[in-house]
Amino acid sequence: MATLLEQVEIDTELRPAVAGRNPWALAARRLWRNRVAMAALGLFLLIVVVCVAAPWYAHDVAHVNPFPPNLNGHTVMGGKVVPVMQRGGGVLKLGETPIGPTWDLGHYFLGADSVGRDVAALLLYGGRSSLFVGIGAAVLCSLAATVTALIAGFFGGITDSLLSRLMDVIWAFPVYLLAISIATELLTHSSGFQFGPVHVDASSLWLPTIIIAFIYVPYVYRPMRGQVLSVVRKEFVEAATAQGAGNLRLIFSEILPNVVSTVIVLLPLMIATTILTEAALSFLSVGVQPPNVSWGTIIQDGSDLVYTRPWVTIAPGLMILLTVLSLNVLGDGVRDALDPRAKLRVEG
Amino acid sequence: MLTFIVRRVLWTVLVMFVITVVVFIIFFKTPGVDPARALAGRSPNAQTLAEIRAQLGLNRPFPIEYGIMMKKIFITRDLVSYSNQGVKVIPEIGQAAPATLSLVFGAAALWVVLAIAVGIAAALLRGTIFDPLLMVVALVGISAPVFWVGQMANMVSQGIGHSTFLFSWVPPLGYTPFTQDPLLWFKGLVIPWITLSILYIGFYGRVLRANLLETQNEDYIRTARAKGLTERRVLLRHNLRTSMITFVSLFGLDFGALVAGSTLLTEVVFGIHGVGYLTWQALTNLDLPTIMATTVYGAFFIVLVNAVVDIAYAWLDPRIRPT
Amino acid sequence: MKNPPALAIAARRTARPLHKLSTGAAVAALALIAAACGGSSQSSTAGQGTAHKGGTFTILANSAFGVADPAQNYTLEEWQLLIDTHDGLVGFAKVGGLPGTKLVPDLATSIPTPTNGGKTYLFHIRRGIKFSNGQTLKPSDFVTTFERQFTVPGPTSFYSGIVGANKCNTKGCNLSKGVVANDSAYTLTINLTAPDPELMDQLSLPFAYAVPASTSPKLTGNNVPPGTGPYMWKSYNPNTEAVLVRNPYFHVWSAAAQPAGYPNEIIEKYGLQVSDEVTQVENGSANEVFDGDQIPSDQLSQLNSPKYASQVHVNTLTADWYFALNTSRPPFNNLLARQAINYAANRAAYVKIAGGPSLAVPTCQILPPNFPSYKPYCPYTAGTNHTKWSAPDMAKARQLVQQSHTAGMKVVVDGTNDQVGKALVEQMVSDLNAIGYKATPQLLASSIQYPFVQNSSNSAKWNVGWSAWYQDYPAPSDFLNVLLGCGNIHPNSDASPNIAEFCNKAIQAKINQAETMASTNPKGAAALWTQVDHMDTTQAPWVDLYNPKQIDFLSKNVHGYSWNPQWYILIDRLWLS
Repeated sequence: MATLLEQVEIDTELRPAVAGRNPWALAARRLWRNRVAMAALGLFLLIVVVCVAAPWYAHDVAHVNPFPPNLNGHTVMGGKVVPVMQRGGGVLKLGETPIGPTWDLGHYFLGADSVGRDVAALLLYGGRSSLFVGIGAAVLCSLAATVTALIAGFFGGITDSLLSRLMDVIWAFPVYLLAISIATELLTHSSGFQFGPVHVDASSLWLPTIIIAFIYVPYVYRPMRGQVLSVVRKEFVEAATAQGAGNLRLIFSEILPNVVSTVIVLLPLMIATTILTEAALSFLSVGVQPPNVSWGTIIQDGSDLVYTRPWVTIAPGLMILLTVLSLNVLGDGVRDALDPRAKLRVEG
Repeated sequence: MLTFIVRRVLWTVLVMFVITVVVFIIFFKTPGVDPARALAGRSPNAQTLAEIRAQLGLNRPFPIEYGIMMKKIFITRDLVSYSNQGVKVIPEIGQAAPATLSLVFGAAALWVVLAIAVGIAAALLRGTIFDPLLMVVALVGISAPVFWVGQMANMVSQGIGHSTFLFSWVPPLGYTPFTQDPLLWFKGLVIPWITLSILYIGFYGRVLRANLLETQNEDYIRTARAKGLTERRVLLRHNLRTSMITFVSLFGLDFGALVAGSTLLTEVVFGIHGVGYLTWQALTNLDLPTIMATTVYGAFFIVLVNAVVDIAYAWLDPRIRPT
Repeated sequence: MKNPPALAIAARRTARPLHKLSTGAAVAALALIAAACGGSSQSSTAGQGTAHKGGTFTILANSAFGVADPAQNYTLEEWQLLIDTHDGLVGFAKVGGLPGTKLVPDLATSIPTPTNGGKTYLFHIRRGIKFSNGQTLKPSDFVTTFERQFTVPGPTSFYSGIVGANKCNTKGCNLSKGVVANDSAYTLTINLTAPDPELMDQLSLPFAYAVPASTSPKLTGNNVPPGTGPYMWKSYNPNTEAVLVRNPYFHVWSAAAQPAGYPNEIIEKYGLQVSDEVTQVENGSANEVFDGDQIPSDQLSQLNSPKYASQVHVNTLTADWYFALNTSRPPFNNLLARQAINYAANRAAYVKIAGGPSLAVPTCQILPPNFPSYKPYCPYTAGTNHTKWSAPDMAKARQLVQQSHTAGMKVVVDGTNDQVGKALVEQMVSDLNAIGYKATPQLLASSIQYPFVQNSSNSAKWNVGWSAWYQDYPAPSDFLNVLLGCGNIHPNSDASPNIAEFCNKAIQAKINQAETMASTNPKGAAALWTQVDHMDTTQAPWVDLYNPKQIDFLSKNVHGYSWNPQWYILIDRLWLS
């Protein structure tokens, strides 16, 4: 029979030593071990880097300015100098067809579009716009949704009711109808908008970014609000309140850190969604406006040439596919890392 | 339960009202849009324009205009398009709806069957190479823009591959009503059905698989296994039914959205003149009456389906009460 | 008119020039056939004519033409059908080539010379002509026809010179003093407030085609009132099709104005993609592609093949595609700046956007080729030949920019957001940037772009605005006065066709002189219009790009093709084998 003190010592020795680990580090390690997700991340970063390098490619490799039309231009194909736009043949000689892919990185690698521009260079510049709008919209959307969810979940009551109803109404809109309507109307203000000292051009990339961010806010708001509600009820929040913490400190120090993981899980998936939406809007001519190009506008440009010059349509579509696929796979991996029991259910 | 339904219906009506008001506001005073001008022809004087505007009723304040338009949509149903004053919008939507419904029902049937197959297969084949393979294929389906897939499909079926036996049966782009020629109706819809369903097969397959795997370890499943049932029987008879709840509710939402006009992109790419195509034309022409009517139609379907799904959910599981 | 045959504006395609021998031969042959196949009541050589009769002619169109009421409809798409179902007091001869621009009497027995200082026209109306509902045509039917011009919302300016028209509006119209009908003597007298040398042209437009006196003064929507032509409207549904069948009461009274038609039925189907239209005509399931100007580049290459060479007809249109320069504010209130961009504009590139030299002809001047008073003039080209554009003169352009002190200014180029519109705008932006401006594009949906650039309240938002113009009828004033006359600047109105807001007193004086001279000294007036065209070109209120050509693609079994400069393809003159 041990003394009480001896008993305590024995218990202490028998208890295994567990090193406490930061949950973020744990998640990161899980993600790192997920080979497929890492490959997807690598692919996504590669695409970003290549697109960011667009000016370098256009200037130093292909030696083109891909934005103005180049209808009377010439390039080298198969060792010979050829015109970029070629007149139709036969008896009637109707139409002008752009050259097809030369598979030569220095000269119209993927061929020309219907006004003689270098598709490969446009593709990279287009990626910059698509990624800017996609990532920008996802980030803005997540910010707005998180702030709203925090306010709604924290204050509860009427605030929660009103905000949630507002979100329901926005969500009830047929998605494309709302986006196209707003975009169409905004585009009629052809000289842009004045917000105090800030002038926003009608062709600015911020317009599609904000529109797309807006229509998806309810999509992120719902799971965020659910998370906030479940955290608000936890004891540590009550404890902090008992300690005299003000609302702001509660929201930012206690609640926010515990819901951030939800945003992180959602972010890659949101970027995937916003990139697809931007492509659709640009395809319908109400997304990215000239002089900017995006993958969606290039697909639209290529619509008339699908049978004779398919690469003008295939290339940007493939880029979208690869980018969105890598984001989806990465998103899966992030979710597995942060929430292995898949408690988070994302609707729709 | 009854109060819940009543509250839901009232909410539905309110939401529809707000949606129509917002759309009306967006387009009512769009700069440069004056339907009177299009009718007045070459060099009309200001007086002619003013007369036409008065005749079309464009002078009155916004709430009255809105009220008149709503009356024409719901009560008298004689709303006339700005782009073509001989066209009544409500019958036009009625004529366009069968195309959209044909497209959506066919695609839905296809994707439900295939998604269930994919989800079950992936869950059963867990641990083998097929599980991740199927999931990657599903992800590819979700990641491709639907209008691009449609264009690629056209490129093959109408262009390169059209002369081969694989695609020579594909008719030119467009929709043939079933009553006019059932075979042509079918042939013209096969490729659009496949295109539209690719997106959803991927998504629903994954959802089902996730649900199936999640409930694998629930107690009642363990009981079934303990009883000695095979893994497959466990899956199909016990797991599937509960896993389908999420599937069904998500399906309802997506189906409703499609019928409401989310088929816009597919219809534009395949030249199918359904409600989505009509909406798109109206937006391009800034034809406010048609925009309003298609908005009402679309919002009605979405909100209706949302309400039905919520009610069904609440009925299926009394513990769940949507906030 | 503003709108091309297809309601959506797209690249235009051109035809072989009219003076080519083959077309001339075809026209001559057609004239013979027309005379031969013509009237059952007059000609005895009806053998060849009746041999051609029969069949259903199917036209495929992407979209319908809006409301069908002839008092309102201003589209070539419906006009091509209305000339077969209705008749006016006078009309353009229904033959191809230049003879097709001559006015011939139709429901009137002859074209009267005006009296009373050019203000009174006395028409004798033919007897024994029936509408498709069996009613006999009487002069009082015309009173209703003209009054409807004002009671139905629509273009009224063509007939606003009629006495009493200034009191007419959509609530009511009484033209009893302006259009005097005598049903016993079968005469119709039109009284004008002032002489109008273009009245005959205006009377030959479908607005003025006879409808029964019982026709409602209100818009008849998509029901077309009965007409006197060889065909009648059986049905029109803008979402599906229009069907025209033979008018059982028709007989030929003037083979020149309204010969009997060959097909038994004419159907126009709507809603197809243009690429489908071409495919169906290729395999013979339909007879005509209406939207020849929207054939995608993919299929143009198909049509080049020798297989289809005989089925494709390309004709130059009397139309301009141009960029208007906003002369009300800098930099283009400065003549040198306007001339600079004219020198710099790379018209070869614009032609390529339109589909190449087979589908568009570069131009510098206002009037199109084959148009009355047209004499080639193009100062804005490299080289010394000032009748034809060959290349831009960048050096001269840059020099003019320097001289004008406008270098570095911001320029907004406005256009439509469809494929071709976007490309044109981007090319113009590039041309402006090349000579030292800071140009940016601004694209609008085509349904709002046209009213937008016309309305002077938007003037501060754009400097260069795209537009296109197709003739209403072959009169130089239709281009030179309507688009560049001082009287056609209507401030703050969506309908102000002088988009450039160009008003030059000296040139306007010449225009006014030409209009007064028209009835007394037509040759002198014609020469004056040529001067006006050249003066306008030198003043450079526009950058005129090209004259488009139109493609007509017909199925293999269609014969008897003729091209009328006013109505383009004459549908009921085609026969099917």
